[in-house]
Amino acid sequence: MDTRKYIDSLFSDYEETSALTDFKEELRSFLDERINTLVKSGMDEKDAFVKVTNELGDMSAVADEISLKKKQEILAEMYMKTRHYMSTWRIALYILCGTVLGFGVIIAVLSGFLSDDINAPLGSLLIFGVIPILGFLFLGLTQETAVREAMGWKRALLYVLATGVFLFGVIIFIIVYFEDGAGLPYAIATLIPFILPSLAFGAFLILTEKDRSKPWVKKQHEEYMKRSQERFGDPAREERFGLISGALWIAAIAGFVLLTILFGLKFSWLSIVVALIGQMFIQAMFTKSK
Amino acid sequence: MEPKLSSDLLRGHTDTIVLAMLMNADRYGLEIYNRILDRTGGQYELKVDTLYSSYKRLEKGGYITSYWGDETHGARRKYYRITEKGRELYRQNLLNWEFTLKILNSLLKEEK
Repeated sequence: MDTRKYIDSLFSDYEETSALTDFKEELRSFLDERINTLVKSGMDEKDAFVKVTNELGDMSAVADEISLKKKQEILAEMYMKTRHYMSTWRIALYILCGTVLGFGVIIAVLSGFLSDDINAPLGSLLIFGVIPILGFLFLGLTQETAVREAMGWKRALLYVLATGVFLFGVIIFIIVYFEDGAGLPYAIATLIPFILPSLAFGAFLILTEKDRSKPWVKKQHEEYMKRSQERFGDPAREERFGLISGALWIAAIAGFVLLTILFGLKFSWLSIVVALIGQMFIQAMFTKSK
Repeated sequence: MEPKLSSDLLRGHTDTIVLAMLMNADRYGLEIYNRILDRTGGQYELKVDTLYSSYKRLEKGGYITSYWGDETHGARRKYYRITEKGRELYRQNLLNWEFTLKILNSLLKEEK
């Protein structure tokens, strides 16, 4: 029987990393040489193979060590590198959007200088500013990164639609407010057909969004929750801790302002010190005693 | 009564045995394996995984390093070389063992 095939079957459950390939080659040379020696001393080749593979023991212990180490490296790499997820056409589109945006800004500034009409810069921004921003939005949402999966392109297009209508509404608002001399009431009226529905639709999209975090991020989050649970006991307790701390600091800042007005900085800084001491007491009270 | 080798006791000292084999020369995996089998007169059922776990552990700890040999014919062999840290560990382990052996002897013989 072929030792290479035998070793491959032995480690078929493990990811083929360079360290494992190296180890497999080392083990193969070990087995081949040992079998050869036994055959030379007069043993049947088949028997030698059986004897030698019986002597192996449990190789998974060694493989575990090699592949576990590799897994950590992959995790570190995932964490560090986003570039890994950038295909060439994406890079090209990002750069294209950036260029168009830069062009739009330059054109808007130039036309702002060259004509007194506010419509000219706004108009060029509408085309050369909004379109690349929407492009960035689409690319960003459909971008797979180290920490999250990409959004589907259909859903991303809905976001683009909502944002597009919103930005269009903003520009219309500015144009109406400045240009037509219609004043604020008319400008506010333009909020109804554009900004309001796009905000509502955007809110709907965001609220129905699902968690796209990668499994390892979720795992880390769980670990964080577990750690904080060990410190505070339970989440409700942690929430109370946050609320009381918040209340304390709002009171401290209010006290600081009030004391500054009444007595000047000479005394008012003491309220911050008192808040710090209070914070430490709250922390001590809420941290779980071991 | 025939004396029998205690494989468990030997297995507990695999790292030190490997280091001892490397004190005078760089050796490859099978060479160390064969030397151990020779020295124990075939009484020790040494499993390959025990030995390779030890290689990997020692390498990770920086006690030994490894390199592929440049055999012109036949299979390539991976050689292991002991580091200064490894030599130190070997001397310490040997010292510990001699000390332990003395105490173990006194304990065992007293109870006879």
